[in-house]
Order: sequence, then structure tokens, then C-alpha cells
Amino acid sequence: MKNKYMFGGFIIVVFLGVMIYLFTQTNVTYESSFTKVMQSEKTVKATGSWIKERNYEIDRQNSTFSFYMKDDQGNIMKVMYHGTIPNNFESSTSVVVTGKYNNGVFHATDILTKCPSKYQEQPVQNASS
Amino acid sequence: MIGNIALTLALVAGVFSVIMYYLTFRGYQNTLSMARIGYHTMSVMILTASALLLHAILTHQYQYKYVYNYSGSDLPLGLLISTFYAGQEGSFMLWTLFTAIIGLILLDYTSKRSDLEQRVMMIFGLALTFLLIMVNPLLKSPFTYLWTTPDFIDLKNINPAFLSLPALQNFMFSDPQSNKQFVQMSRDIYSVLTANNISVNEFIIQGKGLNPLLQNFWMQIHPPILFVGFAMSAVPFSFALAALLKNEYKDWVKQALPWVLSGTMVLGLAIMLGGYWAYGVLGWGGYWGWDPVENSSLVPWLVGVASIHTLLVQRKTQEKGSGRFVKTNLILSIMIFLLVLYSTFLTRSGILGDASVHSFVDPGMTVYLFLVIFLGLFVIIGFGMIAYRWKYLTVNFNEEENVLSRELGLFTGAVALLASAIIVLVGTSAPIFGQTVEIKFYNELNLPIAIIIGILNGSSLLLKWKLTEKKDFWKQSRFSMIAAVVLTALIVLFGGVSEIMLVVLLLSSAFALFVNGEIMLKILRGRKSFLGAYIAHIGIAVFLIGVVASGGYSDHKQVDLVKGEKLNVFGYDLSFTGYEPIDNGKKYAFNVEITKGSSIMIAKPVMFIAEFNNSLMREPDILVGLTKDFYIAPVGYESGEDDGHNHGNVVSLTKGQSTDYNGMKIIFESFEMPKEGMAAMSSGSEFKIGASLKVIADGKEYFVKPAMIIQGDGRKSESAELKEKNLRFEITNMEAGSGRVDIEISNLDENSGSSHSQISKEVLTVEASIKPFISLVWIGVILMVVGFIFSAYRRSKESVT
Repeated sequence: MKNKYMFGGFIIVVFLGVMIYLFTQTNVTYESSFTKVMQSEKTVKATGSWIKERNYEIDRQNSTFSFYMKDDQGNIMKVMYHGTIPNNFESSTSVVVTGKYNNGVFHATDILTKCPSKYQEQPVQNASS
Repeated sequence: MIGNIALTLALVAGVFSVIMYYLTFRGYQNTLSMARIGYHTMSVMILTASALLLHAILTHQYQYKYVYNYSGSDLPLGLLISTFYAGQEGSFMLWTLFTAIIGLILLDYTSKRSDLEQRVMMIFGLALTFLLIMVNPLLKSPFTYLWTTPDFIDLKNINPAFLSLPALQNFMFSDPQSNKQFVQMSRDIYSVLTANNISVNEFIIQGKGLNPLLQNFWMQIHPPILFVGFAMSAVPFSFALAALLKNEYKDWVKQALPWVLSGTMVLGLAIMLGGYWAYGVLGWGGYWGWDPVENSSLVPWLVGVASIHTLLVQRKTQEKGSGRFVKTNLILSIMIFLLVLYSTFLTRSGILGDASVHSFVDPGMTVYLFLVIFLGLFVIIGFGMIAYRWKYLTVNFNEEENVLSRELGLFTGAVALLASAIIVLVGTSAPIFGQTVEIKFYNELNLPIAIIIGILNGSSLLLKWKLTEKKDFWKQSRFSMIAAVVLTALIVLFGGVSEIMLVVLLLSSAFALFVNGEIMLKILRGRKSFLGAYIAHIGIAVFLIGVVASGGYSDHKQVDLVKGEKLNVFGYDLSFTGYEPIDNGKKYAFNVEITKGSSIMIAKPVMFIAEFNNSLMREPDILVGLTKDFYIAPVGYESGEDDGHNHGNVVSLTKGQSTDYNGMKIIFESFEMPKEGMAAMSSGSEFKIGASLKVIADGKEYFVKPAMIIQGDGRKSESAELKEKNLRFEITNMEAGSGRVDIEISNLDENSGSSHSQISKEVLTVEASIKPFISLVWIGVILMVVGFIFSAYRRSKESVT
């Protein structure tokens, strides 16, 4: 066996092995149905939209930030994020939260907000009528 | 229009140049000069198109969709120029431009080296041609006119002088949610405007502007440097394919080395500038978030660094024959460019939409398919050629290395870098399959690789080429080993580093640091052009130590700072002293006085509401120190005007509805509109709409009539007071269609400034964090860049035949 294949092969094999193991341990699936999010015991990335009408709360004592999210089917879920409100949150159209659902609240460790990049996406009505 | 013509001509000239180079390669005699003319024509056309785009941006030519969407008239010059590459079309244009310029240098370089030019420039030209297809008028040209696809233009961006034109009324729209008014831009309105002799450039007087996140110094330098790196990645690809085409694998190594070195240097610098941007301005709290966009440019960089090491081995072992690692080098050099293309595909196709903080505009199916074809074709070209020559390669290049040889050390180092590249690549590609990985995945896997790299970084340099005696190896490494153990022990004792993996990483990095330092001191007396590798290696060792400290031992805490009161955080006394408007009142700087011992410093984190996306933006401030950074990110501010409510309470009522407010009943009875209102509305002149409210309190009835004055797009609220109940009513929002008003109710005395029974508190909430030795990360990167520059200089001297 050639030395270079031994050394190189060893590193690659070991890391591929560890990588596959860690991948199965740390992979997170996207979930757009909150019914499934609530059943899942794993960490998931729940995608939906922020319900603007129900506003959001900032708890300074515990430094948490909570709001309500809605999925495509209209299921509603309370999200509590242990951290500060992200930039752009107010104008976000869709939100991706990473975390676990537990006791009626989705505890998020990460929030990602998507903002409307173009006006076309918003409904527009004729005003002159 | 001229822009699109220039781009089309460039594409034609590019194709012509590639064909002529191919014919030259096939042995035709008179085609080389034609090929050069073709390439130069293409370059001139690309330069022309770029100059036209820049001119359009500088002179605010909003008839171009790209200029309207990403630029604005109120930007300072530097940022205005940077809108050139703020969007997809422009950044492809910039990539094309830099590739063309790099190609001019490459043409000159290769033309001096026998028959290299036709082979290299044929492949390089092909890559450039594909970039030109990307920016051609049918795909992503920045010269597309605004009216070619329907778009809604905010009324505030339109010259008010033309709004009263009767023919335009059909194109007016309003959005009930945001209460904004729009003009629908389309071919129809374009023909109306043309018929009225109005140019679009006169009609639209303001662009959408640049995203406030991008409005800073780093936007002006990070993307251009990144695109220079991207442009240079096509060079090793071209050299490798040129070697495969000729089936000759010796000379290309020394010819390509300076290019690989400088390309990797530029790409690495760009990546870390992006990291500094994230840390210092965007307020991520760190320099690296394993975000897909960062990752996707890190992967080609890692492969580039790996290839430098194996190319060096091949170069060193060429006394007779082509040298070692012939196949590895071909594959790696090809991979750098393919990974840059893959990175482009990931970040531009919209496939990562949900996975990244970077915002992606879905480019549409055509662009998606084109990117797939672009990537697929170059994978086929690259690996197809390798497959074609594979038999020859395996038969001819088959040599053995000794265990204790520098060759094997460098090879193993390259493999470790590749392992890291694979890990990052897998993690970054996961969103394609609807999956994603946690940050832990990257950290835990890359930590042992960093340790291996540290050890190899030091030990490879102690090994001789070909074969090293075991006892020599021990003798030479003794000093560095002892020094590394001592340094690590000191850091563990005084720095409190306790996690075992981090201690090992420290030890291996310190070892690398001392080995390189020792060699460097020896060289300083000798040939200084050899210093490059050692400087870069010290850089990586310093960088890794910085990563251990800042990554493993950062601490953060969210605190409320009451104005005028001191609060101790991490040994610093923090005190919020007030805020002041900056940038002509567009932003607010919040002054935080930081006292430690006798020194007083002021940190000024910034918050502002960006008009661009109507949301609160925050910018951190950092007290940079040699041993640690004190990082202050703003979270929120409460003016303390009211207990818990910043701006009073807002009630939303439709006509006839009532609501309870602090024991009072408020009924929205009707809108009150003056008779001339309707006429005023259609003529665009000022008019007033009132809302009649009945307030029932303590059995009495009161009437108030707040109003809103509307003129064109502007709205002004006229508040009404109810002195008996000490209340002020103000309309914040009104929808005539659904008959709904939002009314803000606040106490009178707050705004009038008279005394208030309650003592109000101004509170600034910040997240304070300590980042120990983050300076080492930047110092390490700077050293690496300097080392790369030295090496690139040395290898370019050696590349002359």
C-alpha cells in the first residue's frame, strides 16, 4: 500500500465517517406544517409567517422575544425566542424559526426573517374607485 | 440600448476568439492574431458596457430596471458606485469585467511562454463567454428597461409634475396594507409617456435605493475583491486543461503557481473582509456564522490552499519527469473553478432561499437552468478531459513517497484541507435536499482538522524533501515542542482554557508558530523572497489561536441601561448618557460611557428606522483592544414617555364601531369629508378628511374630530384634543374603502412637555459581549495575505522559462 493513500485515505475515511454520523445527529429538516412541528421531538426549522395582528412581546427580564406564527393551513403556534428581536423583523413576510416545540410553545434558538424584495408580491387594489 | 449592443458584440467577439484559439491549437498558422483581436475586441466591449452602466448609475438613469431597483439619488459617491454590484445583474457584470481584465494579463503572460497561449486562452475565453451569456439581454443584462416587465413604482419616486396627467390615472394603484400609492410601470404606460413626450428618465426621479445593510464602507471593497478572486479561479482551471490538451504535465505547474497563489490570496482576503463586515457592522456578534454564502466561497479557497501544497510538491520533484501528484494537481486545479461555479449556483439560483441571512431574489427558471448548464458543462469539460487522459496518467505517474518526507507531509495537509472542504460543502448543500445542519456540525468536525493542520503546518517544514532521518527530525523539533508546551501551559493556567480539544488545538497551533518563527529568523539573514510560506504559516497559527480564544471564550449578556445610572458588566461600568442624531438625522447614535479604572471611553452603537424596508436597523460599536474587544450591540430603546407605551395607545375602529378605553367609550361615528374633497382628490390638490368620534366618559358625551390632510402622496395628521379628559386623538392611518381608522390616543401633557406625575426613565437595552483575542484572528489573516503576496512574487519570478 502506498504511503500517500494510507495517510490521505485514513484522514478522509475517518472524517467521512464522523461527518455522516454528525450529519444524522445535527441535521434539521424544514417543516411547513405546524401539526408536524408540534409532534416532532427533534429540532426542526419551522417555516411560516408572523401574525402581525397579534403583535409581539419582548420580555426584558428573561431577554426573550415571543410572537405568533401561522403556517399555510392556518395553524397557529406561539414562538419564544431566547434572544433579541432580529433586524428587519417588523417588515418580514415569512419567518423561519429553528428549535423545538414543547408545552405549547415553540422554543426557537434561531430566527431568520425574509423580507419582501419587490412590491409586486403585495396585493394592490385600485384606489381611484 | 448601446449597453446591450456592446454586450452582444462582446459575446460574438468572445466566441470568435475561442474558435480562433482552437484553430491555432489545431495547428493553423494565421489564426493566432485573429484570436488576439477577438479577445481584445471582447474586452473593449465589456469595458464599454461597464462604463455605460457606471455612467447610468452616476447620472441616475432610472429608465434602466437595474438602476431603479438598486440605486438612489441620495447616495454618497462611494456607495453610489457600489450599487453597480448591489444586484444580481450588476454583480455578474462585475465578475465578467474582472474576468476580462484578468484575461488581458493572462494573455500577455501566456504569450511569452511558447505555445501556452492558445491552449490557456481557449479555455479561459470559453469561461468568459459563458459569463457573457449570463449578462446578455435575454438573461440578466443590467441594461433591461424598466417597462419591459410590469412593476409597481412608489409614487414618491415619481416626478409630481406629471401626476395630474389624465392619461396616467389608469395606472395609479394603492396598497391598503401599507397605504402606499403606486404607478404601474409597463409597456402601456411607456407608450402613454412617449405619446406625451415625457421620457422615463424625467418621469422617475428617484430609485428604490440601496439596502441599508449594504450602506457602509465594506460594501465598497468586499464584493469587488471577492469577484477578482472568482475571476482568478478560472486561471488554474485553464492551465490544468491546457496541460491535459497537450498531454504534457511538467511546465504548467510552475506557470500556474503564481496565479493559484495570488488567486487564493485575493479570495481569502475577500472572505475575511466579509467576516469583518459581519462582525463590525452587521452585528452578527462574530466574524463567521457558517452561513451558506460565506461557506460557498470558503470551499474553493480551501481547495485552492490544498492545491498550492500539492503543486509545490510536484514542482520540487521535477528533476526528472513531471514530478509527483500529477493527477491530484490536475483535479484540484479544475475543482477550484467548478466550486466557484457551484457556489454561484447555490447562492444565485434561489435554492438556498430559506437557509441564509443573505437575501436572494429568485432569478427565474431560465437563469436557474442556465446556471445548471454552465456548471454541468464545465464539470464535463474538466472531468471529461481527465477521464480521457486517465489511462496515460495512471501508467506514467506512479511514484512512492517516504513516510518521513516533506512530500507526504504536504500531501496529508492538503488532504486535511480537502476533508474540511468536503464537510463544509456537504453542510452547505444540505438545503438542496430540504435539510440543513446545525452550526455544531461545522465546529465539531473542523476542530480536529484544525489540530491536524496545526501539527502538519509545523512538522512538514522540519521534514526534508524525499527522506528525513528520524533522529534529525526529533532534534530539530525539540525546541518548538518544548516552547509550544510551555506557551500552552501558560495559556491554560492564566487564560482558563479547559476544554481538552481546544487545549490540543492551542498546542498544535503554538507548535506551528514556533517552528515557523524559528525558520523565519534563520531566513531573515538569507534569501528574503523565501519568507512567504513561513509568514503565511505563522498567520494560520496565530489565526487558529485567535479562533480558540474568541470562539471558545466569548461571553455575552443583555442589559438594560437606565439613563444616567451606572451598571457593571464584565468589569466595565456602563452608563447610557443619551442619544444624538447622526447622518443628517437619518440615524441615531446612542452614547454609552464605558469606564474601566481611570479610562473613560464612549461607545456609539447606532439604531435607525430604514425607510428602505421600514424596519429598525441596528449597528454595533466595538471598543477594540489588543487582548479583547468589548462589543456593544444595541437591542432597543425606550424613551420612557409613557409606562410601557412609547406612543400612546392605538385603537382601530370601523365606522359605527365602539371601543372601551380606560373606562371611556369611544365611538367612531362617521368620516367627515368636505364637498370639494372629491374634486380635490382627483385633481391632486390638498384636502382634509375628518373622523367624528363620540367619547362617553362619566356619563357625559364629548365630540372630537381629528383629521388627516392629504395632498398627493403626502399625509399630515391634524390631532384633536379633549382637554376635559386630558387626551389627544390623532389619526395614524385611514382606509376610506373599508371605512376604518387607526386612532392614537395619548395623554396631553406628555407631548406638551408640562410636568408629569410619574418620573420617566429612559432605557437603552444593549447586548454587551467580550471577545478575547479576536485581534489575533485579523492579525493572522493579514499575515497570511502578506505571506501569499511574498510567495506569489517569488513563484512568478521562477515561472519564466
